[in-house]
Amino acid sequence: MEKIPEENSCKNIIFNAVLKKNPILVSGMVIAPAVMTADSFSSAVTLSAAFSLITFFTLLISSFVPKKIVYTIRIIMYAFIGALVYVPSAIALEYFIPDGIEQMGIFFPLLIINSLIVSRSESIFFLETKGKMMLDIIFCIIGYDAAVILFGIIREIIGSGAAGEKIIGMPVVFSAFTEPFGGFILLGAMAALLRVLLAFIKKVRQK
Amino acid sequence: MEIIKNILLAAFTSVIVENTIFSRALGTSTLILVARNRKNIFGFGISVTYITAVVSVLTYFAGKIFDLSGDSYIYAPLVYILILGAVYILTLLGLWRFAVTLFVKIRKYIHMSAFNCAVLGAMFIISKYCETFTDYLVNGIGVGLGFVLAVYITAIVYDRIYSEKVPYSFRGFPLMMIYIGILSMAFWGFSGHIANY
Repeated sequence: MEKIPEENSCKNIIFNAVLKKNPILVSGMVIAPAVMTADSFSSAVTLSAAFSLITFFTLLISSFVPKKIVYTIRIIMYAFIGALVYVPSAIALEYFIPDGIEQMGIFFPLLIINSLIVSRSESIFFLETKGKMMLDIIFCIIGYDAAVILFGIIREIIGSGAAGEKIIGMPVVFSAFTEPFGGFILLGAMAALLRVLLAFIKKVRQK
Repeated sequence: MEIIKNILLAAFTSVIVENTIFSRALGTSTLILVARNRKNIFGFGISVTYITAVVSVLTYFAGKIFDLSGDSYIYAPLVYILILGAVYILTLLGLWRFAVTLFVKIRKYIHMSAFNCAVLGAMFIISKYCETFTDYLVNGIGVGLGFVLAVYITAIVYDRIYSEKVPYSFRGFPLMMIYIGILSMAFWGFSGHIANY
């Protein structure tokens, strides 16, 4: 029987952040940009880059905001730090991926108040030690990015019959999956599949 | 008469046709959290509608003072967060001073009704597509009401979605997404669709 990792072990933090508590497929966070913009591999990569940059630096800087300040002010400070981080992030990403960023539209600046920054920061990240917090943030971001890229790839294949903008000759194409409602339905199906995978992992571990 | 017709049309568009959740997915994460507790829906709805209405009006004036078009667009989030922060603090201070009971009641969730994608998204969308003061105000209220409508429609099936009768793999969040997807498809019909055959 495999030893179940301790609550605070590195392995457990990574497993929780990427799979068990995946920010989008389990916790239902930062859904809007994924559903609205990640309809292909390239758009999913753009979203992942924007999300990673803004979330990592905003959470990192926000972790230094003193707890003595009342929550009412702290939450405004987090959002303001997000808006400050957005400026260099927008300049950098517009330089490297101008078309992708233009396609994201308002969903790029909206990342400054994503659920990881507004909700999860206070309830989980800032309660941990700095080292553990960094590890948790990095793997939460990786978990989100991996899920969004997979979501974008599947959506592109079944919605446009293409992979990486190359037509792969799918016999049937369901263009509805490129629409927001198709995104919601696919996200639900992926979340259900992850549940099945997690139940399987649990079963294997118990054996 | 023409003004009333335009206001009703704008309100219908922002509540139904361009519903913040079902057509743009804005605030979906917040919706999932709020739908859990039906008791808070009414208070939360009023608070979101009030905040979207006030920040939309202030966004109109901010647009007159700052030029946030072109390259300056990257500074728009800073201006919008300052507006949102000011409205949030002044509302809390006003309630604390004049309506303590209400302040105690809503302080648990007012941060959620102010700092979410639906409110900030409304500021971006309204500043992009609206021109007159009335447009800003009507659409601001419409976004809030549209959000409340989406929360209500979701909350009424919340218990069924989390029921033990639903297979474990679909219970809760996965089924909630599929449900919102089906509703989104229905609302999508309002914007019109022409089949290409």
